[in-house]
Amino acid sequence: MDYSVESSSLAGALDSLWYRFLPEMESRVETLISAAEAAQSGPLSSEQREEAHSAAHKLAGVLGTFGLSRGTALARELERLFLEQTEWRPIAAERLLADAAELRVIVGGRK
Amino acid sequence: MNRRILIIDDEEDIRQVAALSLETVAGWEVMMANSGAQGLARAVDYQPDAILLDVMMPGMDGPSTFRELRKNPATAKIPVLLLTAKVQSTDQRRFADLGVEAVLFKPFDPLTLATQIASVLSWG
Repeated sequence: MDYSVESSSLAGALDSLWYRFLPEMESRVETLISAAEAAQSGPLSSEQREEAHSAAHKLAGVLGTFGLSRGTALARELERLFLEQTEWRPIAAERLLADAAELRVIVGGRK
Repeated sequence: MNRRILIIDDEEDIRQVAALSLETVAGWEVMMANSGAQGLARAVDYQPDAILLDVMMPGMDGPSTFRELRKNPATAKIPVLLLTAKVQSTDQRRFADLGVEAVLFKPFDPLTLATQIASVLSWG
């Protein structure tokens, strides 16, 4: 069965939901930024890693639904990196920060 | 035909987008639950035509909720589709082996979610 609907009729309603949940999305991104910044100077605690991993997982699942497929790809990458961040590695820490910063731009730039 | 769907997901943004999608695109009736425990109770009361069940939830997760649904004669025959953001093939195989109707992936496309569900369940 094919449900045909004008994509514009759904797009308007999706935009409303996006703005409703934007503060929560931004809060998840800030969790990632904070953890990535903390990772620049040393290993994260298991609590920090878990919190960041959870925020990345949630963003990965939802951003593409709002048309932000690059956001989902970045969030998936962050999810993986935070999971692997049991030992401190400077290159991985730099990558965390770059990905989180790009994610912030993507989330903040959706109109 | 008007279908009744129960969405069980702890994340409100996902619940709302999925509900919007199924109501707007397919005209289905949607009920929501924010946890496995609430979902079990709503499934008994609401008797949906299908359940869209998130995998990762605090407390009772998706697979545990599914097992409970199958144990209860009142919900045992309701088709269940798992919804997950996990993309690793080992996870996918593990979920498929549970005996659910299908495993759908987040992020989903709101325009085609209803078509995906209808196709899996052969709703013509």
